[in-house]
Amino acid sequence: MVWAQREGLLADGQFFGQDEFVSFTRQSTLTVTEPPQSRSDRDIAFEREALPWMDDVHRFALSLTRDAADADDIVQDTYLRAYRSWHTYLPGSDCRRWLFTICRNVFLRSREREKPTVELEDVERDVIGSGRVYAAALEEGYTDLFARADILPAIQAAIEQLPEPFRSAVVIVDVEDQPYEAAAEILGVPIGTIRSRLFRGRRLLQERLMAHARDAGLAPRPREPKEAR
Amino acid sequence: MSGGQIPPLPPECMEVLKHVWDFLDDQMSEDATERLRAHIAGCEGCFQYATFQQNFLDALGAMRRRWGVKPELREKVLTALRDEGYAEK
Repeated sequence: MVWAQREGLLADGQFFGQDEFVSFTRQSTLTVTEPPQSRSDRDIAFEREALPWMDDVHRFALSLTRDAADADDIVQDTYLRAYRSWHTYLPGSDCRRWLFTICRNVFLRSREREKPTVELEDVERDVIGSGRVYAAALEEGYTDLFARADILPAIQAAIEQLPEPFRSAVVIVDVEDQPYEAAAEILGVPIGTIRSRLFRGRRLLQERLMAHARDAGLAPRPREPKEAR
Repeated sequence: MSGGQIPPLPPECMEVLKHVWDFLDDQMSEDATERLRAHIAGCEGCFQYATFQQNFLDALGAMRRRWGVKPELREKVLTALRDEGYAEK
């Protein structure tokens, strides 16, 4: 009852005894699923479901803050909030997604006011921009650039330097392998916005990585005769 | 840096250029996906382009294995959780 009142989702007159655990789906339907968890049950579940995602939460926090110390604080705060509100986690749902949402909220709260961001509608421009990167890679012998092991440190640095809101979209979808729908939920924006942010972020990354290949003097791939497929 | 110049392309190749990420992200309708898949399979240039883009997405995905949390942070979080009442097994 207390949990439900906190969420403000119980209709007047409904009553759930102390032996019942109340949880909610995203559509705000109410279900009574299981008896309340004892502290040790909560700890066991938290350890099993939440703690294994600390690497992922840390990457996401770092992508938001771009500052290691700030990211550490956000990870700690995320896990404390997750632990305190473990009763709101729907057992069997995507715990990583739930943690990312908390992490994003912690980050937003840690900033007095987010810098205004520009939503870019011209998705096609970004995709074609990526085509230009490929054309340059073709001309300069870098078509295997992203298959090379020596580009990986530069990719990490390029992601860290990517401006928001593109960085969050790239990290959630491309690094953390979350679907667009999950990214939209975590970042609180429509799926179309995720797509435009993602495509812009990818194009910027590719441009920077091509520039890095030239600046760092990465050896272009020797031209090979075409092979029949 | 703005990259190289894209030569004039046939309409089918232009579709691949415009929709390669939607295709690789599995964000297209079944029909559109099959249409692009059939074209890419038969067009050397589009095949190479799609491979370039797939390598890029694979490289981003590989970051997940490289980019972990430091042991000190893990311990710091666990300490804070213990203060909150969390008990490890």
